[in-house]
Amino acid sequence: MSTSKKEFVKGLITTNPVFVLLLGLCPALAVSTSIDNALGMTLAVFIVLLGANVIIAAIRGIVPSITRIPIFIVIIATLVTLVNLLFNAFLPDLHATLGIYLPLVVVNCIVLGRAEAFASKNPMVRSIADALGMTVGFMIAMLMISFIRQMLGTGEMSVFGFHIFSLPVLIDSPMAIFILPPGGFLIMGLLLALLRWKGVLKL
Amino acid sequence: MNELIVIFLSMALINNIILVRYLGLCPFLGVSRELKPAFSMGMAVTFVMFVASLSTWVINHYILIPFDIQYMFIIVFILVIASLVQVIELFIKKTNFSLYSAFGIYLPLITTNCAVLGVTIINMMESYTLLGSLVSALGSGLGFTLVMTMMAGIREKLELADAPRSMKGAPIALITATLLGLAFFGFSGIV
Amino acid sequence: MQIRETLRSTYPVILLAVVVAICVTILTGVGNITLPRIEAMEKQKVEKMLSEMFPRMTGYTFEDEIYSVYSGDDTVGHAFIAIGKGYGGNINILVGLEDEQTIKGIIVVSHTETPGLGSLITEDFFTDQFTSVTIDDMALRRDGGQIDAITGATISSRAVAEAVRVTAWDKVELLRGNEAGT
Repeated sequence: MSTSKKEFVKGLITTNPVFVLLLGLCPALAVSTSIDNALGMTLAVFIVLLGANVIIAAIRGIVPSITRIPIFIVIIATLVTLVNLLFNAFLPDLHATLGIYLPLVVVNCIVLGRAEAFASKNPMVRSIADALGMTVGFMIAMLMISFIRQMLGTGEMSVFGFHIFSLPVLIDSPMAIFILPPGGFLIMGLLLALLRWKGVLKL
Repeated sequence: MNELIVIFLSMALINNIILVRYLGLCPFLGVSRELKPAFSMGMAVTFVMFVASLSTWVINHYILIPFDIQYMFIIVFILVIASLVQVIELFIKKTNFSLYSAFGIYLPLITTNCAVLGVTIINMMESYTLLGSLVSALGSGLGFTLVMTMMAGIREKLELADAPRSMKGAPIALITATLLGLAFFGFSGIV
Repeated sequence: MQIRETLRSTYPVILLAVVVAICVTILTGVGNITLPRIEAMEKQKVEKMLSEMFPRMTGYTFEDEIYSVYSGDDTVGHAFIAIGKGYGGNINILVGLEDEQTIKGIIVVSHTETPGLGSLITEDFFTDQFTSVTIDDMALRRDGGQIDAITGATISSRAVAEAVRVTAWDKVELLRGNEAGT
């Protein structure tokens, strides 16, 4: 398998950013109250992560060691501000739901971590593959968490306004606790334990 | 005065930044295994939050708003926080070495920490006054320290408990956080 | 040689400055495109809510934090934002004033109440209770007024009722003061 493909697959399971590296937990738990929000956040993270990896891989040759962290931060912060502005102007509902977690993508450990650990030391194509892999891994984790939280917390599954199905008992009295903060912790913890138990993740 | 008490209690307990706002989860899971590091981290975070809230408020009110460039707050805030932490670290290292060995090593971890940036953003979005922002920072930091130390105390005991293999470490910590979060629900509505 | 040395040692800082300059330029450019649009959307949102509340509205003005709503040349009513201290945080409510005594209606603009309980304050069955009610009756039934609280969400319901009544009285005072002044 070519190294680029390897980097991509790495992001999915072996070094899944959320479940293995435990990075980017803040948005993962805060925004995973519904599938729509999860996908929205994934989009934001994707744009920033891809942009950052591409730019940093491109200029990695000319960036001296001393100022590399400040420069990376400025680049990532600019990307996040761009996404913030564009979402506010063109996707206002999503922007309102993501709230402070959208600006917080700038300190999201996934983004800065990949830029520092990978993109600054690897060529463009591999860095792109890494960004894609990490994003897909992030998306899978987010979807798993938000699917469960939305189902138990609202009793129905609807994506972008399209109603898919409702659960018989839960639709009338959903377990709201799951879309509240403690519920987020609970689902994440149980999911993590389940994935480890089933051997999907190493212990 | 009433306002300030509400802000303090809100940030510290009712909307506790870890258990309710999901901020600062990386140190929460990473540094909460032992009591002493947890407490030191909490103190470091409180201190940085306080200084960061002060500086970002000043910059927001005297530079960003007058020049109508508030939308640049992300870059400005994070650079301010990052530089502040560097300066603080150097300063403490040079002047008070015992203090440095107490919590200095946690300072770099705080730079890319959603907790500090998060609180400064909250201050801005809620349009707190200078005093309000400082109280909010103190409240958040102390609430953070409280939850960190509680968590560390529990986890120290958990190490000795016989948890199933797949649960050990992060999963059981997260479930503990669930219970702590549920307990903190009791604070809602006290203002 | 000297110059090369100084260039080499200041290079990191120069690069940082260049990067910052490029980023700021890009952001200013994008800002100029998006910010006007964002502002326009905000205005549209307010207009939509005001016309929902005052169907015959043709225009409005905003002064001293009070909206004055017109239909042609007549003042049809006023509106203002009341902020209630809810269970989970602030509740922003757009309140319509029909005259000095009566509330035209309310629209809950934003809140962070408990989903499934306090969040029901946005529903018609709750907000319809506030249509054409005298300001004095703006309180929960158990507090002496006319509003039925939502079961299991007393704090949220009370927050809305209290905010509406208290702010309405303040604004009526203000309006009376303005009239007396002119």
